[in-house]
Amino acid sequence: MGKYVLKRLGYMLVVMAILSLLMFLVYTMIPYDRAVTEAENFKTAYKGNPNAAMLYEEKLTQLRRELGTDQNILVRYLGWLGLGKINGRYNGILQGNFGYSYTYDRPVIDVLKTPMVNTIFINIFATILGLGITIPLGIFCAVKRGSKRDTMIQIGTIIGYSIPSFIIAIIFIWLFAIILKWFPVSGMKTPGSNYTGWAEFKDRMYYMLLPLIVMTFSSLGGMTRYVRASMTEALSLDCIRTARAKGLRERVVVYSHAFRNALIPIITLVIGWFLGIFSGSVVLENIFGLNGVGRLYINALNDKDFEVVLLLQMFYVAIGLIGNLVIDIAYGFADPRVRVNK
Amino acid sequence: MKKANKVLAMLLAAAMAVSLAACGGNNGSDSTQPSQSAPEQSTVQEETTAAAQDEVSEAPTVENKVILGSTTDLSGDFRYPGWGGSSAGSSDIDINNLTQGYATQESNQGGAYVWNETVVKDHSETENEDGTYTISITLNEGLTFSDGSPITAQNYLATTLSFASPVAVGAGLPGTYGQSLVGYDEFHAYTGPDSEEGTKVFSGIRMLDDYNFQVTVSSDYYPYYFAFTYGSFSCYPMGLFTGEGVTIQDDGEGCYLSDNFYEKNGEDYVVSAQIEANRYDLTKYPFSGPYVVSEWDEGTKQATLTLNPEYKGNFEGQKPSVETIVYVKIVEETQLDQLKSGAVDVLSGITGGELTKAALEVVDDTNFKEVHYQRAGYGKIQFDCDFGPTMFPEVRQAITYLLDRTAFCQAFTGGYGVVVDGPYSPDFDMWQAVQDDIELIDYSYSPANAVKVLEDGGWIYNSKGEPFVAGAEGVDSVRYKKLTEEEANALDIYGNDAGNKNYASVANTDGIEYKTVEINGEYYMPLAINWFGSQPNTVTDLLSTTLANSSDLAEAGMVIRSTTGDFTTLTGNIYRDASMGYLGTPTYGMYNLATGWNSAVYDYAYNWMSDVTYADYSVNKLVDPYDKDFAYDMSAEKLSYEDALAASDGKLGMNYLSFGMVYNAKTEEEYNQWWEAYIERWNQLMPDIPLYSNYYYDVYNANIENFETSPFFGPANAILYANVVGY
Repeated sequence: MGKYVLKRLGYMLVVMAILSLLMFLVYTMIPYDRAVTEAENFKTAYKGNPNAAMLYEEKLTQLRRELGTDQNILVRYLGWLGLGKINGRYNGILQGNFGYSYTYDRPVIDVLKTPMVNTIFINIFATILGLGITIPLGIFCAVKRGSKRDTMIQIGTIIGYSIPSFIIAIIFIWLFAIILKWFPVSGMKTPGSNYTGWAEFKDRMYYMLLPLIVMTFSSLGGMTRYVRASMTEALSLDCIRTARAKGLRERVVVYSHAFRNALIPIITLVIGWFLGIFSGSVVLENIFGLNGVGRLYINALNDKDFEVVLLLQMFYVAIGLIGNLVIDIAYGFADPRVRVNK
Repeated sequence: MKKANKVLAMLLAAAMAVSLAACGGNNGSDSTQPSQSAPEQSTVQEETTAAAQDEVSEAPTVENKVILGSTTDLSGDFRYPGWGGSSAGSSDIDINNLTQGYATQESNQGGAYVWNETVVKDHSETENEDGTYTISITLNEGLTFSDGSPITAQNYLATTLSFASPVAVGAGLPGTYGQSLVGYDEFHAYTGPDSEEGTKVFSGIRMLDDYNFQVTVSSDYYPYYFAFTYGSFSCYPMGLFTGEGVTIQDDGEGCYLSDNFYEKNGEDYVVSAQIEANRYDLTKYPFSGPYVVSEWDEGTKQATLTLNPEYKGNFEGQKPSVETIVYVKIVEETQLDQLKSGAVDVLSGITGGELTKAALEVVDDTNFKEVHYQRAGYGKIQFDCDFGPTMFPEVRQAITYLLDRTAFCQAFTGGYGVVVDGPYSPDFDMWQAVQDDIELIDYSYSPANAVKVLEDGGWIYNSKGEPFVAGAEGVDSVRYKKLTEEEANALDIYGNDAGNKNYASVANTDGIEYKTVEINGEYYMPLAINWFGSQPNTVTDLLSTTLANSSDLAEAGMVIRSTTGDFTTLTGNIYRDASMGYLGTPTYGMYNLATGWNSAVYDYAYNWMSDVTYADYSVNKLVDPYDKDFAYDMSAEKLSYEDALAASDGKLGMNYLSFGMVYNAKTEEEYNQWWEAYIERWNQLMPDIPLYSNYYYDVYNANIENFETSPFFGPANAILYANVVGY
């Protein structure tokens, strides 16, 4: 097992290296030079100076040297990783420099920290709530397959599955925030409040509840139908018939035997959901004015703040690779037929 | 495994219970007042209100608090937003305006800089015999920062000295502060006690005592119409931008910073890092403005400001009444709902037809009011004037005639905007002074006028060099112009593929490529304009339907080829910068974007120069032929407008006028005279076509009184004069 994990980690490093190079190439090939943008402020400042053009050129050259944009792509890539020198020194990821956000004028790590915490905060609840509802609901539908309640839930889930989350968000804002006035329209805390502890948590949850409901509602359809399908298949297995023939209680048949068999396909999605807590929703964060990773990500792309985008993408690549490893290991636990030591 | 399943189920149940309990806890009590629904706060408010009603029946029922909403994120960069650069966030600038005060000069409601009499006890300006100009300032005593520490001359000079030094360059600043002052070059070159270049002393800055200082402007920068603005100094706590323990001294030769300012750690200045870090400081150093930042929540992008009790007023002595200002991030699509629900009190800068209509539906004067003003700026078509058809003023004029700007403005602004005919705001004092006398060409929609100016401009041929016939097919559907040798060689500096000899239309979706043709050794250029528009952009869409694809255009013998892309590529093509999407050959002659002014200091010198040193400042790349015949010389005698006009035979060019306006004019009357001529000349040459100057609406809670904004006096300024009903 340990050997297997080590081997997989080795593969992951190779994949990371290849993907990082590809992503770096993509962003570097976009015709854009950060040094020129940075130098623009200097150009304005030099206006009226008899040596304006010379000063500007000097500054631009200096900025290009400092940022490495005067180098070829490979040198810049190695510099970004910290394996090569930019402006005469090693100052890349390996040295703890994860990049600089020129939009926020701060290190990327500082820029990412708060939105990431916000995103994780809301996603944890949305994931737990989503799984807590969809798994029992899917099992219920599978067990009661063909019943009126199952049909109704199926119709509901297919509608929920078909409607984009931003439509659901707009409808819910209109209904719950504007008509019923149960929740705030957007925002993350009561303006001007400086609560601490439990009061702060409650205030935060009050503002997060509507986005949370929207996120949960949007995710119900797919997962419920997936669990139902998986459970339906499991309930038709011979071993289930045998279990019932043995006279086991239906509850034991469903939860101990059928659900265990249904778990294997579901486990991929469940772990995927948990890994997804790091991913922000571009649409929902914008609609609700949440300071999350999704909004930061799209803003960074629009602002050509590529070092933010690159780091985020590398982070998601790492999460994805780790997630795959965790899923594979989890298979082994869920199903003894699957061996993970090879 | 069974155990593991149970644990998982338990965890799920527990998490659900926690989240439901936490979420559900608020529902009952919050159902009617979402904005005041936060736990504990609502209870406190109810109790306070009840108690107050028992004691004083007239006591206000609302808090002395205003919540300002902005669609722009706050970033926490409040001390010196964007390092003074163009990337500063408007919300950060607002917070800076509210917390940074006591400048020696401040911008008034009309955008003009005025002396701040709350700060400046006395000031004098002297023209010296050597051509320099000295401004002496005496500060009022008794001014203090928010922590009660006294404000002295050091607080005004520290930033200038620091930001003029190489230490500031190390912190990412241009280091050009004070470049107009005597002794700047020497001071800027000084790198510390071991420096072999420059001088430690900044001779153009004198600190006479704690409340008196003076600056001397170099003769290179004087005379200058706005020279008094050289006396504009901001007030910052010592240490914020100089580092701790640094002092300013003056031994009679000029000011200098103590040696520890230049201390180095390897190659880098120690203070550079401190300055950069202090830029985001909100607690270590006090504030000088009407408010202090009492809370900044980066997680929710919310800032709470409370009154600075030490603040003595702005340039009019105005002190704020509103006790607390909360600055929150809002979402444009739901901002009116937030206003109606009480989540915000002020929405500013609402513009555009649909948004404005929706906003005005909310305004009822009982619950919500509005104040509006015309934007100091406009959306525009901008031309490259150094190659292609758009290098000819007749073509630019013809395009203006072919576009029904009134209808365009109506469509884009929904009726909440007007059309202007030049680079001015109707709110400018100079416009108001000359508007009855100024003679501008009326560019009302007129295809007939378009054809006439084109024919007058020589656009009378077809691709064979024969007379143009309206309604012809293929490449002859557009007019051609016979180029002079100079015109044909325009932009040859870019290589063989560039220039008018090889000019051709791009984005030829109909399969027809229009290009310059050579007939008997002479070059004929087609009236095919390559336009680059940014997307997504409603203006681009509207221009496409109302201009580029209009039948009038085709009938006039003109074609506009449309290319769209992102704004970076657009600016890359304007600045001809390969690193921003420019492909190396000037291609586009027309763009759509916008421009504006944030003050009434109207100075366009260096914007119309042919000198390559300053060429980058000329976004239109227009060189007025009048300037070739009668060029402006900075070192020559400064002529009055009448004398210059006579000397130029009545033909003053854009460059001359833009320089004369600020370097020759001495009085307001003279300045207005130059300005009027400048606008008239601009209106003849039409380097841009102003499309619309839209109205901005600030909608606010009717509990706020005396809230008056203007193009140059936004909510952050206007709030100083406002009060909440009952306070």
